[in-house]
Amino acid sequence: MIEWLDIIWSDLASQFFNPKKRLFLGYLLSASVIATVWLCLIKRHSIGSAIRTFFDRKVWFSRSSRHDLASFLINRVIFFWLRPVLLTQLAIATLIFELLHQQTVIPLGLFEGAGYWTAALSFTLVFFLFDDFTRFVVHFALHRIPALWDFHKFHHSAETLTPLTVTRTHPVEGLVFTARSALVQGVTIAGFVFLFGNQVDLLTIFGVNIFVVTFHGLGSNLRHSHIAIRYPQAVERLLMSPAQHQLHHSQSERHYDRNFGVTLSVWDRMFGSFHHSVSETLSFGIGKETARFTGSIWSMYWLPVRSLARRLARVCLANARPITRAIPSFRARNY
Amino acid sequence: MKQNKLLMSTVAGIALAAITSPAIAGDVYGPYPITLKGYNGDKTDSVSYSGQIGRQLLHNSLKKAIGSGASLDVTMSYFNGADGELALLDPKSGDSFKVDVTDINTVSKTNLSGKAYKGSLPGWPGNMTGKEVLESMINMAAATEKGYDATHGYDYGQLVSKFTMGGVFYHQACDNYLDEKMNADNKPNDKPYKDGAYYTGKEHSWDEAFGYWGAAAHGATLSPKQNYDITKKKNMRDADANGDGVVNLKSEMNYAHAYYAAGFDKGGNTSYYNTITTAFINGRQVIADANGEKLTNPQRREVKRHARTICSNWEKVIAEAVFKYAGSVYSNIEAVKATMGGNMWRVNGSAEQAEHQAALRKYAKYWGELAGFSLSLHTSGVDLGEIGVKMDRLVGMGPVMPDGTQVNGMSNGAYTLANGESMDGFAVHMLKLQNLMVEEFGVEARNNDKISGISNLAEVLGSGNSAEND
Repeated sequence: MIEWLDIIWSDLASQFFNPKKRLFLGYLLSASVIATVWLCLIKRHSIGSAIRTFFDRKVWFSRSSRHDLASFLINRVIFFWLRPVLLTQLAIATLIFELLHQQTVIPLGLFEGAGYWTAALSFTLVFFLFDDFTRFVVHFALHRIPALWDFHKFHHSAETLTPLTVTRTHPVEGLVFTARSALVQGVTIAGFVFLFGNQVDLLTIFGVNIFVVTFHGLGSNLRHSHIAIRYPQAVERLLMSPAQHQLHHSQSERHYDRNFGVTLSVWDRMFGSFHHSVSETLSFGIGKETARFTGSIWSMYWLPVRSLARRLARVCLANARPITRAIPSFRARNY
Repeated sequence: MKQNKLLMSTVAGIALAAITSPAIAGDVYGPYPITLKGYNGDKTDSVSYSGQIGRQLLHNSLKKAIGSGASLDVTMSYFNGADGELALLDPKSGDSFKVDVTDINTVSKTNLSGKAYKGSLPGWPGNMTGKEVLESMINMAAATEKGYDATHGYDYGQLVSKFTMGGVFYHQACDNYLDEKMNADNKPNDKPYKDGAYYTGKEHSWDEAFGYWGAAAHGATLSPKQNYDITKKKNMRDADANGDGVVNLKSEMNYAHAYYAAGFDKGGNTSYYNTITTAFINGRQVIADANGEKLTNPQRREVKRHARTICSNWEKVIAEAVFKYAGSVYSNIEAVKATMGGNMWRVNGSAEQAEHQAALRKYAKYWGELAGFSLSLHTSGVDLGEIGVKMDRLVGMGPVMPDGTQVNGMSNGAYTLANGESMDGFAVHMLKLQNLMVEEFGVEARNNDKISGISNLAEVLGSGNSAEND
């Protein structure tokens, strides 16, 4: 009992002290500095007003924020028990690396003579692009597949956004994110070690992926906040601004299913879901469903499971029809 | 100026003295006093392991004999022992490295066959005991040119050598002398080891195990590189601990697994050599301190604790060798494939043919080392269970050859072959073997690591387990 409490406590602490984590105190600090500077220079607030705006009690101590905190803590316990049974990126990479030896099209060590910097730069860049693209794909799927949307509502039911909202995730969603991450890491690692040999390395700052440090250091935590930092339109066409992600959370119908991207917004442009940030004040949530869904922290965990059970029951009851017709077709969300 | 010179000379003198000073007492195995009650002879040192050093020299010479194409009579004389003079083939004196032995029988008239592992070895064709496996290998080697069987990819010199280290030395030390002979009623410390001996039962049992380990008595005072270079005959100064101008092969040479341990420790990630040698020294001191009395229960527990340290680390040294040679075999599969352009039918010109044959020769050498070490892991008396089965399957009974054949058994004294095997698949086996050594034996030196790229990247990227949205 004491041992697992100790492990959970270490995990909790690492969320704030490990620079690989988004909630690392350094990133939170840089986000608050960026927000303050933005409010002062662009929005013409005084320092005092900027600080008061940033630490708005109505946001940070809202009922929605309390749900963020509760789910953050509950999820740490749930994942403590789930973690040992999850497939790791190491297992996937090893499996793929071994499978690559069975094919005869691409020779082992094709780029072994490429040199350290070429190998490291290629790996870091390809991993960043592949990782960011698959995040977009998964996020797209979470919105467009009804059974997955039921679980993603957990995140979108937030009516105020704070950096902790990033952890407001249903555990089933968490499993999807974990599988994606392990798969992306496994495939990239195996492919690069097969082609470049053991010289492959990740370019890092303080031991952390250079892109991760840059993304988080430049205020990724403001994506989930009430500080609507906007980039010039030319930049927003390449990089997702905090205000663009806040628009993604908007419950206004015209903003539905926009801006699925994380770091890059080019994926949204490629798949027709891009939207520039807007100057209007946005309201967040899942429309009329919000009140029922967030009735209690337990209803947030339970309702998606019940929805899935009902979907499965409908599929079973409809077995007189071909199974393919019973599977819900892809369609936009309908709240 | 003069003062500076004096100061520099003094510092240099101190440094030189520190470097060349004789072994530090307490870090050296022996001498230990005679403690046997009632002994009236003139011996003053109870340490004795000349039989084991004799076997170390037989092993070295047997490997040399097979590799030089000696006749079966000669190779068998190193396995079974022989009357009269038995020439030492390795290590021999050179210009810069003098040894004090030329005839093994002057060290001890002994043999390897009588001490070889008598359990079964499912990992080698023919359902034989360890002793029979060695006999069979030596016999088969005689029918080849210098121990190389190109058809099956066997290098008998390596196979015999690496399995002798395990099937005789490791087996005798960890399955006999440090195991049952450390029990209370077996070779007790208040009686001579045998009638007429000047050492007690426990003293000699412990000494014999140390002789099988193969470390120089002063080895714990040296660095891994110094110990490694002694076996390579590159370091006369550090080997000659008593400064008599010659390397005493009984106490000043590193052999067998001790040499491999020093090799792994050179990388800086491990300290097998010192851990094991120091445990031998500390265990021997406990026995010496018993002063010829039966060991008390706490003393025996202490001795057994040192024995466990020795054997668990010794096992890791062998597992490190399996890991290392799995990596070498993996690389050599690629090297062999490179000479074929991925297709054996492309090997046509004589130059390409020579290059191809040379690559195959190295492939057989490294597989022989791998197989010899992996078979050795079975001989300590500890049943490896499923791990052993997995390891044997991955190593195979022979390397997969370019024509897709691989030895899979023995019938009427001849090897039987499986067909249609893939060298690429075999390369994957080597990767799995390295993983097995990491997961089950916790190897840390990891020479010739073919899987580190993956694990290092996985570590630096961090866990993919996440409950975060974007």
